[in-house]
Amino acid sequence: MSTCCRYGVDETSTLLNAVMTAAKPSLKSLLARHEVVLLIVIALEILLFQSLGRRFLDGTNVSNIFRHSVEIGLLALAMTPVILTGGIDLSVGSMMGLCAVCFGIFVNEAAMSPLLAALLAVGIGTLGGGLNALLIARFQLPPLIVTLGTFSLFRGLAEALTKGSKSYSGFPDSFLALGNSDIAGVPAQIWIFLLVALGIWLLVHRMTIGRSFRAIGYSPEGARYAGIPVRRNLGLAYILAGAIAGLAAVILVARLGEARANAGIGYELLAITAVVLGGTSIFGGSGSVGGTLLGYLAVAVLNNGLSRITAYQLFDQPISSVARELSGMLTGLLLLLALAVTPLAKALAARRTKT
Amino acid sequence: MNGRYSREITVAAALGLLLVALAVFAPNFFELQPLLSRFTSQMPALVAAIGITLVIITRQIDISLGAQFSMCAVVAGLVAAAGMPLGVAILAAVGTGIAMGAFNGILVAWLGLPSIVVTLATMVTWNEMLRLWQQGRLLPLPDGIQWFGLSQAGGQGLVIGIAVVLLLAAAWAMRHLAAGRHVYATGTDAEAARLAGIDPKRVTLGVFVLMGGLAGLAAVLNLVQSPQVQPNSGDGLELKVIAAAVVGGVAINGGRGNLWGVLLGLLLLTNVNPALTHFKMEPYWERAIQGLVILLAVVADGMKRSKKSTA
Amino acid sequence: MKRILCTLALCTVPFLSACKKSGESAGGEEKLTIALLPKSKGNQYFVTCEKGARVAAAELGAELLFDGPTNSDPAKQNEIVENWISLGVDVIAAAAENKDGLSTALRKARAEGIEVITYDADAQTDARSFFVNQATAKGIGDALMDNAASLTGAEGEFAILTANLTAANQNEWIEVIKARQAEKYPNMKLVDIKPCDDQKDKAQQETTNLLSAYPNLKAVVAVCSPAVPGAAEAVKQAGKTGAVKVIGLGLPSENKAYVKEGVTQAVILWKVEDLGYLTIKAAAALAKGELKAGAAEFDAGKLGKLAVEGDNILLGTPFTFNKENIDQFDF
Repeated sequence: MSTCCRYGVDETSTLLNAVMTAAKPSLKSLLARHEVVLLIVIALEILLFQSLGRRFLDGTNVSNIFRHSVEIGLLALAMTPVILTGGIDLSVGSMMGLCAVCFGIFVNEAAMSPLLAALLAVGIGTLGGGLNALLIARFQLPPLIVTLGTFSLFRGLAEALTKGSKSYSGFPDSFLALGNSDIAGVPAQIWIFLLVALGIWLLVHRMTIGRSFRAIGYSPEGARYAGIPVRRNLGLAYILAGAIAGLAAVILVARLGEARANAGIGYELLAITAVVLGGTSIFGGSGSVGGTLLGYLAVAVLNNGLSRITAYQLFDQPISSVARELSGMLTGLLLLLALAVTPLAKALAARRTKT
Repeated sequence: MNGRYSREITVAAALGLLLVALAVFAPNFFELQPLLSRFTSQMPALVAAIGITLVIITRQIDISLGAQFSMCAVVAGLVAAAGMPLGVAILAAVGTGIAMGAFNGILVAWLGLPSIVVTLATMVTWNEMLRLWQQGRLLPLPDGIQWFGLSQAGGQGLVIGIAVVLLLAAAWAMRHLAAGRHVYATGTDAEAARLAGIDPKRVTLGVFVLMGGLAGLAAVLNLVQSPQVQPNSGDGLELKVIAAAVVGGVAINGGRGNLWGVLLGLLLLTNVNPALTHFKMEPYWERAIQGLVILLAVVADGMKRSKKSTA
Repeated sequence: MKRILCTLALCTVPFLSACKKSGESAGGEEKLTIALLPKSKGNQYFVTCEKGARVAAAELGAELLFDGPTNSDPAKQNEIVENWISLGVDVIAAAAENKDGLSTALRKARAEGIEVITYDADAQTDARSFFVNQATAKGIGDALMDNAASLTGAEGEFAILTANLTAANQNEWIEVIKARQAEKYPNMKLVDIKPCDDQKDKAQQETTNLLSAYPNLKAVVAVCSPAVPGAAEAVKQAGKTGAVKVIGLGLPSENKAYVKEGVTQAVILWKVEDLGYLTIKAAAALAKGELKAGAAEFDAGKLGKLAVEGDNILLGTPFTFNKENIDQFDF
């Protein structure tokens, strides 16, 4: 699983020395390579959509790209430390549903101020993350299964609380502004996203605890011998994921003006896609927050851009009419490609040296 | 021998408790016809569960199986609707499944890519492709497809028969055939298996291909239960069968688990919802209860393990 | 590195070559752009709606954009509408999956000077100008309840199958059904409401369970289209054809076989293609300023003149398809 350290310095890393200051020398070439590939993908997307699409680089649309995907971006950020430790959290999307419903109940039925309700919703996310943390870090149960269980449990609780059908709306405009207004020309929620991104980046790349995430993912046993409080740090990653899912739920409710049990459905898979596309190994041990951001951007731009191509047709339909299906398919293929490029190149290189 | 079947016993006890409660409070549950229809409708999931059990024992996962199921159902439906005999439709479904399974298998076994990501990507790709292609229309099937052209009772018997035979054959093969032991060996320690002369890549490829084929067969067993196919018929199937495998005691870290536990796990999970209906309880709790069952199963696992390590 | 670049470049080639440029408008006059939002894609009901919409768009020489959510993510409809706002469409016609949520986005569209009309499922009244009403919730609910009552002799237990528990439209109809039952059919009793997640197979399983849990069940009322054939198949398998009545909202084509066999007694629906057609006609008229608040009727091309009640454009009464007439319809 040690995918790092196997690549010699190639032409790209010299180019990127200036840009990449965060990476460790041994990781540098691999990270550089992956992030450069992603940058190229994003650049190609932008080029393609700008030339084929309608008003793609228009100011409101650029805002929309971020506004519409910020919840998934937040979940991807939350998921990065988790995956770095070699774990996974399938419950974040369901957690959003539960937090959204609780938020709605707090404001509509308990008549709380949105701010207090938002704090409580984040608190519930933290508690839910705490449950995952308890089972995974304390009892050392497999994260995939624990979070598969809480995936059903959290969504199920959200449905039970609302009897499935109830939804909450009628929030004050000052709260809706969080999801729909601009601050200094940038969507309000993007500021929060940037803050969280900075926080996670500091945590993962600038603090010892961040290094410990990678160490745990690389070898939990080794991390323990090295004196890292494995259980505490592992638990922290899941608690943080729950809290951020709660935050994402509040932002989603602010954007939609409605809270219901199916908020965030399927988002966990999109978040995992962004993280893995960003070059973080699903086995843990290697990856970066910058990569996650680029992976997230590549998916967000693709999803938005395809829906702006109205002048070209595919299967006798304007591409914008099949944008959702196409972007799903292309994201899947992009993910496979991003994963397969390195081993394929390696296999080809090995064959070349043999002959 | 001690504790070897403890998981199976626990799950069987839970299932038994559920059935006893039903017998006391809602004896109608056990009327022959609904019982038979209910059981028949759970068979496709059982067949898919056989596949996922093998995959998980090999220390892999396949979350694209629901998408494979949907795709195979549509292919079989289209072939049948084109006037081909049922046998051809079945072959088409199984063949499609094998092809999709092989695609996953090659990426995982030969390129060494993580199965959870590969199958996440293929799941999305197949599902969206299907949506583009079929646009959600219900595909009517010609006469003679439902119940394999037999009477209802005959068809139900055949569906259950096929699933049970598959289950027995797979359980026997995993115990007594070299291939079965290779699956366990690969999941326990691929490197050790390699040194023992097993080719882990071939085993991995094999289980994914088998998974695809079984998804195709499962789709056929579902297809024959009504005269129409819906193109999203496999939605959510992956969660159902993975949960069944986990509740049934298959270790997600590979190397451990057997099909009897999975059968019990599947029966337990799929009967929660009918039981709620028969107890005349509200349906909103179904998902929460399923989540709890899964969590209880893994916690029980963990407690057993920690007891063992302290003893 | 070069190899990666080449691979990426190659990957975009089939994508580009698969596209073909659609007919450019013949210069000069700006084409009217109408955006049509369904509750969900991959659903035969809205595919049929779109068919009618395309006919109307071709008649009008307007550009039609059609996009909708592919899963039950409640944020998707908003995202699509906001996309259309920045795309600069002239008018948006929307069917609301989440009434309050979608209204937030539709209000934004109106603030940007885009005309908004709703069809199939209404948004908040301040978020749109008109609602193309295929049949009022009251009309649908009453029709279903009255049918169920007349088939069962107005007594006995009945159950409802719905799409999922969060579907706003369905919940509204269910409320009407409950009210109608309480008011007119005191001897009938609604025993259970089950979701089928828009899956036919799940509807079949739920109905099997309902039939054994409630042995005195007299009728199953399915309020989402995949549930009707699912319920019918379960009743048929239980050997209760005729003894347990099946009625519901569904497309005639999907239920023809069951209706003819006598498993399903009646399917209620409006002419879905006409709904799509009318929606686009009304949307275009609204954008051109031909349809104004206070109008009493609306000239809907091949559908003739239709009544406008307040801000509701009425498609007409829902149609009941049964054994006698179902062969005449092909949607």
